[in-house]
Parts: sequence; C-alpha cells; structure tokens
Amino acid sequence: MKFTPELSFSGGRVRPLTYDDVDALFELYQHPELPGQRVLDNKDNLIRMVDLSVQMAATQRGMMWALEVDGAITGMVSAFDWQPSLLRTMLRVDGLPQLTLAQRSAALKVCMDFMAEKYHLRNFGYQWIEGQNEEFKTMLTELGFKQSAVMRDAWRSGETSFANVVQFNIVLDKKKPVAGRLGEDSDINPGQNLNTDNNKDGGAA
Amino acid sequence: MNWNFSAGNFSLRLPVSEQDGDALFALLKEQSRVDHIPRSAMTVDVQALDELRRMAMRFETREAAFWLVEGLYDKQLIARIGIQKINWMLSCAQLQWELSDAADLPVLQEVMPPLLNFCFSELGLHRIEVRLRAGSEPHETLLQQLGFHYEGCLPAQIEYNDTSVDMALYSRLSTD
Repeated sequence: MKFTPELSFSGGRVRPLTYDDVDALFELYQHPELPGQRVLDNKDNLIRMVDLSVQMAATQRGMMWALEVDGAITGMVSAFDWQPSLLRTMLRVDGLPQLTLAQRSAALKVCMDFMAEKYHLRNFGYQWIEGQNEEFKTMLTELGFKQSAVMRDAWRSGETSFANVVQFNIVLDKKKPVAGRLGEDSDINPGQNLNTDNNKDGGAA
Repeated sequence: MNWNFSAGNFSLRLPVSEQDGDALFALLKEQSRVDHIPRSAMTVDVQALDELRRMAMRFETREAAFWLVEGLYDKQLIARIGIQKINWMLSCAQLQWELSDAADLPVLQEVMPPLLNFCFSELGLHRIEVRLRAGSEPHETLLQQLGFHYEGCLPAQIEYNDTSVDMALYSRLSTD
C-alpha cells in the first residue's frame, strides 16, 4: 500500500522516504535549521523515522517527503499535527544550505496542493521560529500565507532559553467536503491507498 | 507534590470522581459557560461522571490537570480551571476555564496568581497560553485584566456547529 505520492515541481520532486535515504537524511540533519536543534549523532533514529513516515501517512497524522533536486536529497517536507476532521495541518521544510528559496517554495506548494485535493485540507499552518532565515517569512507571504500570531517564547532553544514563534496560516477558499461512508467509492473519497484503481492518477485528481 | 492549595478565600483542588459529579454538572450544563471553548453544554448528569473519569486519566499521565475552585468556607463550586496539553519539553501548557457567574474579576484576581505561581514555580512551566473563540466576551477582557498578552488569532482551528471557529491566543510567561 502506498500513501505518500511522488510529486514533481519545476526543478525537482518530492517522494516518499525509503531506507536507502538514511545516509542522505543523516547529512541533512547535520545542518539543523531550528534554534537549539542538535546535530544528529547517530542514524538509528532515522530508520525509525522512515517507518514512522509510513505509519503517520496511513493513519492521517502526518506525511513526510524527501525533497530531491537533480536526483539528490536536499531537504524534507513534513506535514504534522494533521487534524483530518478539522481539515488542517502544519507544514515544515528542512533543507541543506544549497536548497534555494524557490525550490523550497515550489516543494511546499506541490505538497500543499496534494493535501488540499486528496484530503480536502483547507487550513495550512507554518511556524517560523525566531533565529531562522528571515527570507522564509517572505516566501510564506508570497505563497499566500498570512501571519496569525506571534507566540512569545513558544519554542525552547536551550535549557533556559526560549524563542518566539511566528505562526502563519493559509486558509483556502474551498468548499468543505460532505462526509461519506468510510471506504465507499466516490469522487470525493476514493480511499487513501494510492496504488488502487481509484487513485491511478496519484490521488491528486 | 501537593496539587491542592488555597488562594485567598478559595480552595483549588483536584476533583474526586465519586463525589464531584453533581457540582460539575451544575456548572457545565449552562451553554454560556462553555461557549468560549467552544463546546456543547452537558445535558445529562452522567456526562459529568464521564468527564471526571477523563480528567483523572489525563492527570495520571500528567497530560492535564484540572482544579475545582470552591469557596473556602461554603464549599460552593464556582469554577473549573485546568491546564492541558502540557508539553514538558517546551515547558508550556494551555489553560482553560469554565466560570460560574460568581467567578468575576475580583475572584479571579485572588485565584489566578497562586495558580499561575504553582504552574511556573512548582511545575517548572514557562508559558501558559489560552486559546478561546475569538470575540468571547467577557473572557478576553478578563484575561487582559489578569495580565495575559494578546498574541493573535489562529484562523479556522475548530469545526463547531458546521462553522470554522477562529481562536484568539493569549499568554502569560513566567518572566512577565
């Protein structure tokens, strides 16, 4: 069964994580973007993370994509705190220094479009943490996100230090789906498994 | 650690499943007391027992703690105040309250400082935030009068009665 699709964007693609990605992901986590985030010192947790990426997608709790440019992993896109019944999720992109803002933005957009089409999500949040690249805020605004709140000291950056979190949201002007029976065949609810006949187009019709 | 304490003329204590059902039901059966969360009021008394059991389970896992606020002498329940979604890594939690008509600003000015002090000093939390339906008066005014800072409004956070509800966000820090 397949729950996380491969999606192309101009200059690259996002695809599901596999065990073969562990070395590339380890390299990615040598360049943490978040204030206070530690450099990863062993690969064991990454194998678990690949397992989790499948479990989370299957249970609609989150989704993780490897972000590839020119065939090499340069980042990751993650959807987390996914609330299916509330039609919302949070997003995050982690990238190597060579990942450009345009690539980051395009990857984020293609993942967002997929989740809006396939799962009818209409509210996407993104938290920018003080100390991260300021240009990420501009990128989010250009994608249509709006600043919702500045959450004081909401991110712990050290034993006794904290950083403000700026939350951005984009709420799509999109009709809410009508609830159907679980597993029934319909245009609006073709099921999660992307390998079935109902999802031959990748699920993002 | 003693989770029960007094605050001026009031006591704050963890609920007891076998004895607090009636008082909790009386508090939470009024829609106006839960509109700001937002949530539907209780309609039958067994819901209160269910809620008490849920509170006990959430407390066992230290995911949440709810206090019943009673008059020190008359033992009348005037509010339930709790912290939930406690994140011990980020040192933060979400505060939620349901207030009877008796729980006005002077009462809350007696109750809230010891409660927040308990959260910051005893539990070691750094940030207490409140999320409530945007435009909820008089709760938002009370929060501001109690020193909470308005941080913004999170859009479309909850689906309630076929409507997407925006949530206003307030916080107090241990350093405020």
